[in-house]
This record gives sequence, structure tokens and C-alpha cells, in this order.
Amino acid sequence: MTTRRCVLVGGGVAAASAAAHLRKRGFDGDVVLVGEEAAAPYERPPLSKEFLTGPPELVRPLEPDWYAANGVELRLGVRAVDLDVAGRSVGLSTGERLGYDDLVLATGARPRRLPGFDGEGIHYLRTAADAGRLRAELATARRIAVLGAGFIGCEVAASAIALGTRVTLFEPEPAPLARVLGPAIGAVLMDIHSERDVEIRAGEYVTAVERGRHGFVLTTSRGDRVESDLVVVGVGSVPNVELGQDAGLAVANGGIAVDEYGRTSAPHVYAAGDVAAQHHPRYGTRIRVEHHDTAVRQGANVAANLTGEVTPFEEAHWFWSDQYEHSLQSTGRMGDFGSVVLRGSMAERSFSAFSMVDGRIQGVISLNRPGDVLAVRRMLFTPHEVTAAQLADESLPLKRLMPRTKAAPRAGAR
Amino acid sequence: MSGAVTGQWQEAMQLDELWEGEMAGVEVGGEKVLLMNVDGDVRAYRNRCPHQAWALDEGDFDGETLTCARHLWVFDARSGTGVNPDNCRLTSFPCKVDEDGTIRVDVG
Repeated sequence: MTTRRCVLVGGGVAAASAAAHLRKRGFDGDVVLVGEEAAAPYERPPLSKEFLTGPPELVRPLEPDWYAANGVELRLGVRAVDLDVAGRSVGLSTGERLGYDDLVLATGARPRRLPGFDGEGIHYLRTAADAGRLRAELATARRIAVLGAGFIGCEVAASAIALGTRVTLFEPEPAPLARVLGPAIGAVLMDIHSERDVEIRAGEYVTAVERGRHGFVLTTSRGDRVESDLVVVGVGSVPNVELGQDAGLAVANGGIAVDEYGRTSAPHVYAAGDVAAQHHPRYGTRIRVEHHDTAVRQGANVAANLTGEVTPFEEAHWFWSDQYEHSLQSTGRMGDFGSVVLRGSMAERSFSAFSMVDGRIQGVISLNRPGDVLAVRRMLFTPHEVTAAQLADESLPLKRLMPRTKAAPRAGAR
Repeated sequence: MSGAVTGQWQEAMQLDELWEGEMAGVEVGGEKVLLMNVDGDVRAYRNRCPHQAWALDEGDFDGETLTCARHLWVFDARSGTGVNPDNCRLTSFPCKVDEDGTIRVDVG
């Protein structure tokens, strides 16, 4: 009998999570993780936050010695260059071909690049190596320009301010993160950054970059010229679909299309993480989520399905962003920002904005109320009925709105 | 990882202030401590998530598991072991309840 081999393509947390759960579930075949980066899997969210402002330490989902101890072969610094789904093999940048019984595509995403914005002093942030270069240059930069006030842009701006650097933040939309958070919460975020002396240029973008004698001179869409020592570009990401797409796998929503079990259109090929556009049974549609937590959970789910379980992935997606002392979190889907129910106070920067349809919570965005997000995450896909007045009433704990479970309350519990 | 008993039992809280299924963040001998009443048994842990050191008392305790509010790491409240992810654990401190209901913790 030959040993079954599972190849994980990608060196991020989705692949690490798949490896961990394969072993946890007793998969005793070969597991090979092929990762393009030199580092063993690590968490990316700290790269725009603690990694820049504190010690440049990587937060790892698994200790580096876990892999050898658990018979998981790490092929780091190696790129998967082609995939043969009929012959069940993957070609590597080393020239080798690696046969597989099952393959997991967890190739992630890469930063979207702005044409003409490349080279020394112009930073994109995705990898530990990117963050290391940015961190080194931030140490001596007096002023920086951040292009794009998405999560990466806002977090880098906050980190740079914490390091005592002057920041100009450009955002073509009227407010930071307006598309994700809606205009009202976007405006709160804009105030938070303005108060920390970030120069926010909303509704404005950079049309050209020139290298001056000291750093850069940026020309803006309003015709202004802005100087900066370095430039950080955070204008979204592009999923790394090419390996799968070139092999003929179906694509959707810009990613590799997978069903609720993580299966692509080719037998024995799965996908997880940023690259996966997965059918979500609770929504009845394909969604592609570019957040850390979903990548970890999808990796675990694919491992379960690879080891004989038949478990659909139907978890709620959830994300956080830390900026200054503020914690922003969200779960579910927001829908129409015009009809959200507010709990708490935007002025005091402690609030949750709920989206509701027919007495059910669809999603929530919270600033500095992470407990609300935890509660909503538990309720989202459980039948419940709430009113706008209940959600807005801070004296009523959200937990109290949770439907009663069958389990009897423990004696002595309130 | 658990703290060893050093005999320095310091007063942390009164048991009647910590109901079953509740938790509280307290400071004992300069150490931030999380007290949890798990079905009548009191547990004491360092009040920092092993992930990124956020305070755990802002999280959610459902009587059995503790979920860190920051990044949703989940721990078994009785043992302190990680549930998700499962390759971590909370740092625990020796803890006892006197006959008069005083919760005492040994932070070393």
C-alpha cells in the first residue's frame, strides 16, 4: 500500500491550519507544505500594527519545530509553478514535480500594485519581509504618505503616528473604509485619525510620484504637491488564482470557486483562505473573504473534509482592526448602512451598529465594544427575534436576546 | 504552564462577589489576575491572552469556555487549555477559598 500524500500550496495560516488539523484528525499520510516565503507560516494581521511599533516578532500559529515533530515537510522559498489536475501533480520552482493524492490551494493574495509606484522607498505590505523593510525605513522617516485608507492604510497610519512620524493619508472616497463601514462610521474613523494629526486627504488621490533629492514629491488629483520620505500603498489585494486558473479550475468572485466543502471544480483539489470563493450555505451565494480568521477556519474545515468528514463551512466571517487605542470589529453582513440600529455612542467612540432584517440581526460593526460582536457572532445563524429598541437599549445585555437553548441553566447561575 | 505554590496566599476577592459562571479581573500583588467561578470552583489565571496579551476579562465566559474578545481564541475555563487553537494554554495561579469565603491567589 502506498502512502497517501496531501500537498498544501501556500505558506499562510490557511495552510498551517490545514496541516495542524490533518494531524489532529489522525491523517497519517505525507503532508507537504509548499510556501513561497522563507518564513514558516505566521499571522499577517500584526504586520501593520505591533510588528511596526514594537519588537519585530512574528506571531506563529504553530511553533517552527511543530512541523518536523509532526512529520509535515516544509518546502519554504519554493513556488508552485504549474498544476496538472489530470496527472495529480504540481510543478515546483526547483524543477521538481510533486505528485499528490489531495491538494489544497491556499495561495492567498498579493497587494494590488499602482502602475508607476514601484521601487526603493515605495512600500506594499503583505509579507514579513515587506513589513521588515517598512519598519526599518519608518525608524528614520519624518513624514510618510499612505495611499489608500483601507485597513492596511489606516493601520499603518496609526502605527507611524505612534512612532512619531507625520502622516498624510490619501483616500479617493469621501471617508476611510467608507465602503466597508458606511459613511457614518467612516466619518468617526476620519475624526480619530485627524485628532492624532494625520493629514487626511479624502476625496483626493495621488496622480504622480517623483523622486526628489530628499524622498518623494507627490502630485495630487487637486494639483497639490506633497513631500514624503516614503510611500506606503494600500489599495487592496489581488487573489493568487493563476496556479488554479491555468490548470482549468473554475473561478468566481475573483477567486478559485469552491463549494461549501472547500472542493474546487477539479477532483481532489481544495481551496481555502483569501483565494477561495466559497459557496456559503447560510447566504446561498459565493463569498470570498480576505480576513485572517476565515482563512484559519477554512483551513481546518478543508482538513476535516479531507479526512472523511462531510462538513460544510458555514461559519460567520469576522474581522478586527486595531487603530491607536481603538478596537474595530465586525461580523456578518451589513446590507444597507442607512437603516442600521445604533447601540452606544458614536461621540464617545463606544458603539455597535447593527444591521437587521425582519427582526433578525444580519451583521454588526463595533467600535470598542468587542463583547457585542462576540454575542452577535453566536446569534447570527441561530433563529432569534429582536427589535430595534432592544438592540439600542444598553441596559439590556445582548446575551439576554439569545434564544434559550434546551440545556437547563446551571444551578446557581443567574 | 502553572505557577508553583509558594505559600504567598494573597487576598483577591470575596466568593460571594463572584457568582457561578462569572469572571472578574483583579490585581493581586502587582499581577493582573483573572478569577473564574466554574460551577462553584474558582480558577485563577494570568489575565492575558497567550496570543497577544490582551486582557481576558473583556471576553465572554459561558460557564464552560472563555472566549477572548480580541481575536476569538477559546479556552476551557476549568483547565485553562486552549480549545481553539488547541496548542496553547492560560497561565494558571494556585488559588483557594478560605472558610470565610475569601478567595486567595498565590502569584509567586
